[in-house]
Amino acid sequence: MKFVLPIILVAATLVLMALAIFGVGQSAGTVGIATGSAVPGLGSKADTSEQALGSFLTDIRRRNWDRAYSALSKTSSVDEPSFIQEWTGSNGSLRTFSTLETYEARPLHATSDDAQMRVRMRWTTPVGPVEDVRDLNLKHEGDVWKVVWPKFTAPTVPAQVIPVNYLRWDLVNGGADDGWGSRNVDAPRVRIISMNAVDSSEGAVVMGEVVNEDTIPAFVNVNATLVDGAGKAIDDESSFDKIAHVLLPKQVSAYRIDFPNIGLKNVKNVRMDVKATLVPASADPVIGVMDQKVDPDAQGKSVLRGQLLNESGQTVNIPHVIASFYDNNGRVIWVSDGYVDRALLPQTSEPFAVEIPKTLASKVQNFHVVVNQYSLGKS
Amino acid sequence: MAALTVGLGRLGLPERGNWRPIATYISSKPCRQILNRSSMQLALEPASLSTAVSYPREGYSRPIPLFAIVLVALAVHGPLLLMQLPAGSFDTNFHIFFASHYAHHWFDPWNEKWFAGFSQTTYPPLTHQWIALLSNVFGLKMAYMVVQLIGVLLLPVGVFRFARIWVDDRSASHAALGSVFLGALAFLVYQAGQLATVTSAALYLNALPYFYEWMTEASGGSLIKGIVVSWTAAAAHHVTLIFGLVLFAGPVLWVAWLDARDERVPGSVAGVISRAMIFALLVGAGVAMVLAPYWLALIQHPIHQIPIPHDSRANFLLNSITGINYFVIPYGALILALPFIVIRGASSPRLRPLLIGFWITFIFGLGGTTPLPRLLLGRAYEILTFERFTFWATLMAMPIVGVLVVELMDRFHAKAAAGLALAAVTTLGAALWWLAANPFRPAGTTDVDPVIAFLNRDGHDAFRYITLGFGSELAKVSTYANAGSVDGDYNSARLLPEMTHYGSAQLTNAKFYGSSGMAALRAMLSHANRYGLKYIFVHDPYYEPLLTFVGWRKIETFGSGQITAWSKDDVPPAHKMESDAVPAPWEGLLWGTVPMAVSLLAIFLELLLPVRRRIPVPVEVPARAEQPYVA
Repeated sequence: MKFVLPIILVAATLVLMALAIFGVGQSAGTVGIATGSAVPGLGSKADTSEQALGSFLTDIRRRNWDRAYSALSKTSSVDEPSFIQEWTGSNGSLRTFSTLETYEARPLHATSDDAQMRVRMRWTTPVGPVEDVRDLNLKHEGDVWKVVWPKFTAPTVPAQVIPVNYLRWDLVNGGADDGWGSRNVDAPRVRIISMNAVDSSEGAVVMGEVVNEDTIPAFVNVNATLVDGAGKAIDDESSFDKIAHVLLPKQVSAYRIDFPNIGLKNVKNVRMDVKATLVPASADPVIGVMDQKVDPDAQGKSVLRGQLLNESGQTVNIPHVIASFYDNNGRVIWVSDGYVDRALLPQTSEPFAVEIPKTLASKVQNFHVVVNQYSLGKS
Repeated sequence: MAALTVGLGRLGLPERGNWRPIATYISSKPCRQILNRSSMQLALEPASLSTAVSYPREGYSRPIPLFAIVLVALAVHGPLLLMQLPAGSFDTNFHIFFASHYAHHWFDPWNEKWFAGFSQTTYPPLTHQWIALLSNVFGLKMAYMVVQLIGVLLLPVGVFRFARIWVDDRSASHAALGSVFLGALAFLVYQAGQLATVTSAALYLNALPYFYEWMTEASGGSLIKGIVVSWTAAAAHHVTLIFGLVLFAGPVLWVAWLDARDERVPGSVAGVISRAMIFALLVGAGVAMVLAPYWLALIQHPIHQIPIPHDSRANFLLNSITGINYFVIPYGALILALPFIVIRGASSPRLRPLLIGFWITFIFGLGGTTPLPRLLLGRAYEILTFERFTFWATLMAMPIVGVLVVELMDRFHAKAAAGLALAAVTTLGAALWWLAANPFRPAGTTDVDPVIAFLNRDGHDAFRYITLGFGSELAKVSTYANAGSVDGDYNSARLLPEMTHYGSAQLTNAKFYGSSGMAALRAMLSHANRYGLKYIFVHDPYYEPLLTFVGWRKIETFGSGQITAWSKDDVPPAHKMESDAVPAPWEGLLWGTVPMAVSLLAIFLELLLPVRRRIPVPVEVPARAEQPYVA
């Protein structure tokens, strides 16, 4: 026992550790805190293209940039700072707030020397999870596989002066009120101009459009309460981020209110409530929406895609696209939204895409896009 | 070896290798004098004998007086606690928040400041109630430090008493001294702020020798004191007692059984087993009563929430920094002693139960580095955090480490003393250095006073609030603000669906839980009107885009822009949320009296009822000495 017990304990410890390394008992950890790398010799190898890509993306997830960069093929024409910036984002874009959480990779094409993999990356961001699909090429170099990373060229614009001649509304509160908006002025006139309730795979959805009929800007929230046959409220929800909250005079925004896990069959009535407050606002920055079209994406889903053009001289850090889709009667049949993960620099454009549910894609006759935005220091 | 012979000769002991006459000798007067120093003396352990009797002329060959060890603990940890070093730890503000509630509502455990109302009967109250009591003299923060200091001072006493079950006084005293410098202790006290875990472990270690004495000697005094101290430990922290039953008490029961079987103690095997069952029954019944409101709350609302990630469940081999945080720092120089612990623990039959207990605790402390904790604990694996197992493992290792220290001191004298002192100080120093160096460190330097002032003026407390990016400072805001929050720095009492349906802990730390955390935050923000959630305080610009897009506006800036206040205009004032978790008045009465009464009884018994120590009278001894331990 004197010799056997230590051997048993040490052997059992090693066996248990080996079992854990090979996948038994893995646990998720917190996100965004450096947890370090694997002990040398225990990290995954790059003997196959799948392993190489997995190891590469694990390093990206852990922000082990040196290791990730060392996994690039020598044919990659990118320097390390540019490579890191492409993953970490710049100019206060959504990507600068994002962390790669999970990924799935599947091969599209493979030979003994090169391979192409489609990677579906799920990012955690302040505005919710964002998915990004990217096709990556890998090359067999020596006895390992390496990732080929193309050089990203950031858009550049010539030096210029952009005159600002758009309207802006300021508010003077006239007191030490801690609240925002105005307390002593009538609320702006805001009206819901359409409402449509439908069942979706995730529950009931109430959507439509709201207009600011006033000559002053309004901060708008739309709330809806589902009421059953007995007049009792089933649930109440708000438009949350499926609306452009700041509406300039005469501006229209689509809204969507989700009621998860509730079917419309028990709903007798929908009580709508729009709340508007006077707020300071500006028509600048102006963001143009161009080249809009509905077509399938790489995964076969129907998407509305286009380009956002920043026509102003200010950087828009996080653009938010809200698209409303209409049937041939002009009724809103769906509202989708999406965030663009690159900042919209002055006088440059960025692509966007928002998804349309498969069941509705064929019914879409028209669409309308509103662009909401977040700019650092201007909340 | 020569010195040993001299030592044995001076006491009239037979020479090494000829142990048969020792049975006769042990009942002789000189030996009884030696053994009289400790009823737990390992009379039959060659190591114990050798270490107990060798080098009698050397100053460091005697046990270190317990009082001196406690003074060392006071000298080391007293200043650190007076400097309020744990104030920046993860859980200190949480404990102070709970204590603050007891200070104001001793008999009403329903606290409306978190989660729109929750019951404090979901967490054992003893340490919080002591803080609340002492806060009348010291104030809340210093009262916390005082209670933590008492826990830290009780720990070496507990280690000494626990170690004497296994080894001689001298080794036990070195084990106790070593426990003052444990990296795991510094980790829990200064980084994690686990007041209840440390205090409960210290109490539990003090209870175990009584358990052993009761089993082997049928001492009624030991039974009473063991039970009351165990109840007190449970009133401080239930998890320690539950796992302690298996991990600590299991080996003690095992060794008592071995001692009875080999007739080293007066009790029979059947007597040991039956007395252990009596002890367990009485402790179990008492814990059921002392913590009755806790059990009722648990039965009414079992923990069904989605598991919350914790890095102590990570695989340390695949996450090097996590490994440093949860293994290297807590163990420190003990890592070097691991081979000795295993080899020596396996060499001696009496130490084997301790070794097995240590190994299981050690494996649990490794979290997700092995699959064993998940396999054995099932769903509880996702609820528990595992740094406490590492702490317990270091405590269990200390008796054997004490033997190592004695052997090194006997062999290398001053050099060993210097090396061991260096190792101890380095271990503690590394844990303190890691407070500032680790990436998990809480952001404890935020000035939240303007936030508290904002919430306490102009009727702002009519609404609820949350903080974002405040970390453990949320509890500080909650302690001093009159307004309630829908968030809270405590996972077990959460009942709001916006929090329990996602694998995320506090909303204030939402980003660290990835998509789950942000989904929980979005769910809460979408129901702001329902809860009267009007104010959000942001200490991390990460959250600003979300607040902007979902309809909140910045209204005020505090502390040079470090903290911003956000508001939503259409939120109605908060109203009281109906809950079936509100404890009955009798539960509040029980909660406010029994745990404190039990702890006072334990103090009374310890101070005023000394237990009569009995000398074990061995009957049979090994014919041959095992491996000599002293060269």
